[in-house]
This record gives sequence, structure tokens and C-alpha cells, in this order.
Amino acid sequence: MKFLCVPCDEQMKLKHALGPDGGSVALVYACPACSAEMAMMTNPHETQVVGSLGVKIGPGEAPETAAAASKCPFTGMLADMGVPLAAQGADRDASPADGESGANGGNGAPAGIPWTAEARERLANIPDIVRTSAVAGIEKFALDHGYDEVDAAVLERARSFFGIA
Amino acid sequence: MKTYSDIAGDGGSDVLGQVLQQRERIAEAMAGIDHVVAIGSGKGGVGKSTLTMQLALALGRAGRRCAILDADLNGPCQARLAGLERAPLLPGDRGMALPRTPDGLGVVSLGSLLPESEHLAFDSVATGDSHVWRATREFNLFQQLLGLVDWGRLDFLLVDLPPGAERTLQYAEALGPAARFVLVTIPAALARGVVARSAAALGTTPNEVLGYIENMSGYYCGTCDGVRPLFDGAAGDAPELGLPCLARVPFDPRLATASDAGEADLPPGPVLHALDEAAEQLLRCVA
Repeated sequence: MKFLCVPCDEQMKLKHALGPDGGSVALVYACPACSAEMAMMTNPHETQVVGSLGVKIGPGEAPETAAAASKCPFTGMLADMGVPLAAQGADRDASPADGESGANGGNGAPAGIPWTAEARERLANIPDIVRTSAVAGIEKFALDHGYDEVDAAVLERARSFFGIA
Repeated sequence: MKTYSDIAGDGGSDVLGQVLQQRERIAEAMAGIDHVVAIGSGKGGVGKSTLTMQLALALGRAGRRCAILDADLNGPCQARLAGLERAPLLPGDRGMALPRTPDGLGVVSLGSLLPESEHLAFDSVATGDSHVWRATREFNLFQQLLGLVDWGRLDFLLVDLPPGAERTLQYAEALGPAARFVLVTIPAALARGVVARSAAALGTTPNEVLGYIENMSGYYCGTCDGVRPLFDGAAGDAPELGLPCLARVPFDPRLATASDAGEADLPPGPVLHALDEAAEQLLRCVA
């Protein structure tokens, strides 16, 4: 989507964003020539449809923590613009399960144990919708086998335990 | 006034670039797979999933490396069929590790993660309007599975499709033109008519339909050790599928019981013979 300032015939530039609030994000654009501003506000349906496509709206990549913690498709843009992550509900605890929200698999998940950065990074290889379930299963394996942290070695032991190639 | 195409880029999101990246990741993940064969029907209840599992096992008996991707995201049953209901999806260093049965058959199914008492739920900020976005989200998940699993080297990836003639078409487009299709029907006009619709839908795509398998083509009677008729009316006035029949597989109550228990192995008999014949036909088709 592009925005044009008709009087100036100039592409308007993204200036800042507000939200997400109740599923809606307000994106404020300004004309570089006349400084006129306009805001595009998404309704929850639009936010949801964009999110369903699996793409991020906005320039650049969001920091990993924000991208992993938020389901908002505008995360990348908000992070790039310096919107505080806390405002997006992106606080994280030690367990990656705490950073996922609302999808399947949250029921019965253990309280969470620490994950090393390497193990956490590997979680990107699990589809987001089932990541919480995967984390719960891995943490249960770790706790059942006396580990107090999930690292790459624990993941490998889990693979062997479950006979996974 | 400038037009859309006069302005370079899309405002900074590079949505097209992101979509291309997704496709590249899928192509990379599937680079070691020789043949992708989707098992569909359009009609529910004809035994697609059981037949997919049995076909994969038959291909395994023929010395081929196989995996199954359960594309029925809302009614996944490959995990139960494989006895992998409690196998967690684990992240590896090159992708999601491929869960395997003790026999080495790879099976990716949401049934490994979702208890049968739960339905597949997605996060949504648009409560009450899932009909607007859900199919898009499901295909996004399907493509994530294709692109994230560490498939390794495979001779065959069998994709167990959900019911729905329109879904069969959508999965053809999601899998791309290289994916081939096998349709499953039963000898009843009601089922065959729906399968004919799926065949017609696939006829609008570049995907090759290898043929069909007639499942429940009689039943195996253990008492008389023979195959007895199951559907007297057969296909009736249903339209011809215009496809080669790869095999006719009788119903075997022992297979139904074993499938429920996640024990897929069948004793020698007419059903096993028919499944091996289906695998041989499939191998001839892709040779």
C-alpha cells in the first residue's frame, strides 16, 4: 500500500504509529514537501487478514524478541520506529511459552524453565501456531528428566528419547 | 498525478519480497524430495488417511524413503495412525525435526500436538469473523510446515489432504505444479460423484492426476478368507472419472482396529496385496 499527497504529487512517508489497541493500529504518514499528515487506521479484521498472510508490515526486521513475542503484523514497523516494546505487550519471561499467546497448546503447559539463547533460537523452526505446544512438550521432557534448563543438548536428548531423526 | 507504479517499493514492507522468501524457503526445504504426491478425494470418510498411511508403508516395503504430511489441519489423524500422538515437534539446527515411526516413516501431523479433545485455534483480534481470514491462516500454517520441516532425502512425500473438492484445488495451487495427485473413492455413486468434481477441479491446474484408488472395494471376510461385496450398487450413475484405476483395496476390519490403535501393520492377505499393487502402480506412474 502506498500513499500519495495529491497536491504535492509526492509519496507520503511513514512518520509514526499508534497502537496496537484493540486490534487496531494507526499509521501516521507525512508529506515530505508540505508536511501534511494523514493517518491510516486498521480495523481488527484488516489487522487479522494481514497477520494471516504471514507477512510483516513496515520497513526492516523487528528485533527477534519483539517478533517472537507479538502476533501483531505491524511489529516490524513499530520496532523500527522505536515504539517501546513494552507498549506492545512484548515483555518476556525466561520460558518461551510465556511469549506466545492465544494459540493452541497453552493448556497444561508447565510453569516454564530457562532456555539458552541457542535453544530459543531453534524455536523459530517450529510454526508459530504450535510453538507453545512444542515448548510445553520440551519443558515437560526436561523437567521429567531432571534438567533445570533447556539447551541444545537437551533438545538433542529429547530427539533421541522420542526416536526422532 | 503519480500512479501506483510510478512510486518505487510498496511503502517499506516489501510484502512481495517476503512472499518470495517464503517460497524460496519451501523450495529449499523440499529440495531433497523426489516426488510429492497428494492423496485427496473431495469426499470425507472414504479412507484417505488410512490409505495414505498404508500406501506409504507399501512404498517403504518397496524400498522407498517416505514421509507423510498431514494437511488435514482441522482433523489430523496421521499421528494416531502412526502411533505418534505423543511425539513432540522438536526444533533442530536445520529445521523442525521429522518425527518418525519405529519403522522409519516420517509423519508430520498436528495430531502430535493437539489432543483430540481440542480443535485447532488461531489467535485473532477479529473475534467472530473467522470465515474471513481462517483459510488464509491455515494455508500459511501449511506452508510453514512445508518450509520448516527438515525433510532430508525422501523418495516420496505423501500429503494427506482434507475433504472438500475446493480444498483439493487450493492445495494443488499451494503445493505447486510439480505435485501429483491420487484420488481416493469408494464404489458408491455418492462418493464417486464428489471425487469426479475434484478431478474436474484438478483438471484446471497443471498438476498431474496419476489415477484413483477404489477403497472399500469389497471387504475381507476372515471366516471364508475371501473378499465379499460391500456396495451392491457400485458406482451407479456417477460420472466416469476418466482416470486410471491404480488399485482396488478391500476393507479389512482388522485394519480399522489396528489403525485406531496406531498399529499400522497388516498381516498378509488380499488387502496387503492390493496395497502393494497400488504402490507398484504409483512407482510406474512416476518412473
